[in-house]
Amino acid sequence: MACNSLRSIDITDNINSFNSFSTNIVNITTGIDDEKRQILEWLSPLEPNQRHHSVRNERIDGVGNWFLETDEFRKWGGASDGDGDGDGYVPQVLFCYGDPGVGKTYLRYDKNLLLGNE
Amino acid sequence: MIDHLCDQSSERDIAVVGLYCDFLSQHEQSTTNMLGVILKQFVNVGGVSEHVKQAFETARKGFGGRCLRLPDMLELVKTTVASWPQVFICIDALDEALPKHMLDLLRSLHGIVQGSPNTRIFLTGRAIVLQEIKEIFFTRAVIVPISPTKEDIKKFLVRQLGSDTEPDAMDDSLRADILRVIPERISEMQVGKSCVFPIKSGPLTNYVA
Repeated sequence: MACNSLRSIDITDNINSFNSFSTNIVNITTGIDDEKRQILEWLSPLEPNQRHHSVRNERIDGVGNWFLETDEFRKWGGASDGDGDGDGYVPQVLFCYGDPGVGKTYLRYDKNLLLGNE
Repeated sequence: MIDHLCDQSSERDIAVVGLYCDFLSQHEQSTTNMLGVILKQFVNVGGVSEHVKQAFETARKGFGGRCLRLPDMLELVKTTVASWPQVFICIDALDEALPKHMLDLLRSLHGIVQGSPNTRIFLTGRAIVLQEIKEIFFTRAVIVPISPTKEDIKKFLVRQLGSDTEPDAMDDSLRADILRVIPERISEMQVGKSCVFPIKSGPLTNYVA
């Protein structure tokens, strides 16, 4: 089962998928198994890691923190009834919109707000 | 956003995947390729699951080694996402994708969240895609307008001033003026709905009266 296959790996490997992407790319070129490399190439030619590293480097700590305190964000980050108001509504999609350059790409996420971890 | 989600995922069994839409890569960023790169991140971290391997083997036997069609790719992503307790999918700059690809991507994401209640999707883009978001996700989506606060702008300016390549051209008075005037001006522009926060480096003095 795909489910078992994915869950059976060590939790430390389960995580930080995006950040570890470039590291794994390096591994691909230096010797991970050929079939996995072929499958990765077959799945998509896109490589988002370079853009991500650029965003990480340009980001300024603290900018956009107000966003973390919005009701919309708190509801989205909730596991069941995110704001605790008992209405049971949990939006699965959060869309942040604005003009180019307002900082949408650089928003940060507060660790204590993740899926009901308040 | 992705970084903080990733930091958190170290404490629990959470997958964080994402992509950045880009005007310059519009044609390469087909919906299938965009979903493919999401799946690629799962494979990269979690290894090749049986359903992905099976699809690959089937495709390889086809004429010339076939690529996946969108419905097949979507099914693979759905199956993979459903196998994780929690998944965050972050997609930046939706409006930079070709309209057709963007619409297909949103519809695909809708299909993914329908089958996986613990999946969360974080999207950014310009207001021009607002209507599509509302129509496709309806009550599943919350929408937040983003604009920088004065404090955000000040933090940005402090960093820009700190990396000034010509520090001799700056003095305390000019620095104070920059930190006072630019946040005010940009805030006024926001009220007029015409603000562009100067994310990229530039001549800060242009913003001062």
